[in-house]
Amino acid sequence: MAVPAAFLAPVLLLCGLGPRLAAAHGPTGVECVLFNEEYMTCLWGSRETLTTNYSLYYWYENRSPVVECKRYLWDRGVSIGCHFNQSEIVQFQPFHVLLNASLNGQALEIRSKRMELQDLVKPGAPVNLTIRNMSSNQLQLTWSSPYPKAQCLEHAVKYKSNKDTSWIEHGVKGDIFSFPSVDYEKYYTFYVRSKINSYCGSTQLWSEWSVPVVWGRNTTSLAEEQLQWFWIHTVLVPIASCLLLLVLVVLLVRMERVWVILMPRIPNPSKNFDELFITHNGNFQEWAGVPKDMLESFKPNYSESICYVSELPSRESHDPQWDGSNRPPGGPGAPAGPREHSPYQNNYVGV
Amino acid sequence: MSHAFFRSIFRVLPLLLVLSPVNSSSCTMGNKTAEIRVKYENILSHDIDELVNMSAEYRDRCCKNKKHEHSKVFFCNDTQEIESLQSMACNMLKFFNKQKISKEFRWKAALVSCGTLQVLQCKCERHKKEKVCTQVNTHNNEDRETGEQSKKKCNHEFCELKENISSLRSCWNKFEKIISR
Repeated sequence: MAVPAAFLAPVLLLCGLGPRLAAAHGPTGVECVLFNEEYMTCLWGSRETLTTNYSLYYWYENRSPVVECKRYLWDRGVSIGCHFNQSEIVQFQPFHVLLNASLNGQALEIRSKRMELQDLVKPGAPVNLTIRNMSSNQLQLTWSSPYPKAQCLEHAVKYKSNKDTSWIEHGVKGDIFSFPSVDYEKYYTFYVRSKINSYCGSTQLWSEWSVPVVWGRNTTSLAEEQLQWFWIHTVLVPIASCLLLLVLVVLLVRMERVWVILMPRIPNPSKNFDELFITHNGNFQEWAGVPKDMLESFKPNYSESICYVSELPSRESHDPQWDGSNRPPGGPGAPAGPREHSPYQNNYVGV
Repeated sequence: MSHAFFRSIFRVLPLLLVLSPVNSSSCTMGNKTAEIRVKYENILSHDIDELVNMSAEYRDRCCKNKKHEHSKVFFCNDTQEIESLQSMACNMLKFFNKQKISKEFRWKAALVSCGTLQVLQCKCERHKKEKVCTQVNTHNNEDRETGEQSKKKCNHEFCELKENISSLRSCWNKFEKIISR
């Protein structure tokens, strides 16, 4: 008898734990969000976390009967949530949800905690962001919200310039944000988001960030401008310069008049002297047209004998006397003149 | 003969009391929504936030699973928000003398109740409760022992007060949403 009891105990234990184990792989809770008070979704899991299809029942405390969800949300054949229309949403009434499923013949029930739907509102993101230039370097950012009760919203603005590394965030109560001092050399980007304020609810759900608005020197156009300047400086100017140079070279080669201006010829006066050398055979006076009588006047009309003077050697010297066989040392300029007698008859003047 | 006379009188009087209108509001600020909004946003909402934060700091494990049968539940009825706030505020005043709740918490709750009644220019049916407001407004800065509630055990009265505070805040949120553009 003890043996069956030993087997029964773990079986009973497993049976007791079964639903809990099944629930452990099921949804841990229901998360509901009211999107801009237009519709609501309540999600309890995903395809990966759910093992079976759950049914959702809801009711408002002391108000309505229990109603099943009319529009389930599906993920690959598994129900993961419920969609509520605006007419099915009542704020400021405690809201309860019950999930129901059947697994292996056992009923699973998961009750959510009481919810206050006004605390689960997620407003729509702000739209129509507009920047205006005010006086003294001040910018004014305005926007509008798709949420119907603008006075129930608080906002947050985050901005950054192209020189900043991190975003700066400011809380704003109204729908105007004043940026006190702006640098005209910088490029700013602004985002806005909204939340129900504490006067109308108690929620931590912020809307999505809005579409950004920019102000300042547009980096896109600046980049394009810089790219244009780059192309101009780096490509066009060198190419244009090369083309110009090429044209000049071609002109220089083809047009002698231009070549002559740039590379003047070295004057060659030989042509002017062709007549001198060809016609007059190098006779400069003839070519110059010197008159004949002037030429004659340059000719000497007298003859002049050359008188050679030499020094007689002393007797003590052993220098041989000059005789007819010895020729006196004569310079090259010594004119070869005729022999002449001189008072020193012992001297001999020869050629 | 006299017995019959008195019996007839005593039947009529209760009948008159029963038939008298119960839902007549004794609040006089009903139409001045702009003024109510200014006072609520600038003054009262901050006190309510402080009270809610204070309430969240105290132990409330005993409040979560129990449904208190004798607790009075107040609803913020549609189109009767002011009356609902009046009822909630007047009811909250009864906790002022509950010794099981910390003095600081009781005083703050009474301050919010009296503030609600003052903004809406309401009176409570039981005039004794308004003596509390006189006392609270007079001795507003009196030193009270802080952190006292943390030493006190979670109890039914604390849970009921906490529920009242939550209802009061939600009703104010609802009213503000209605009067806001």
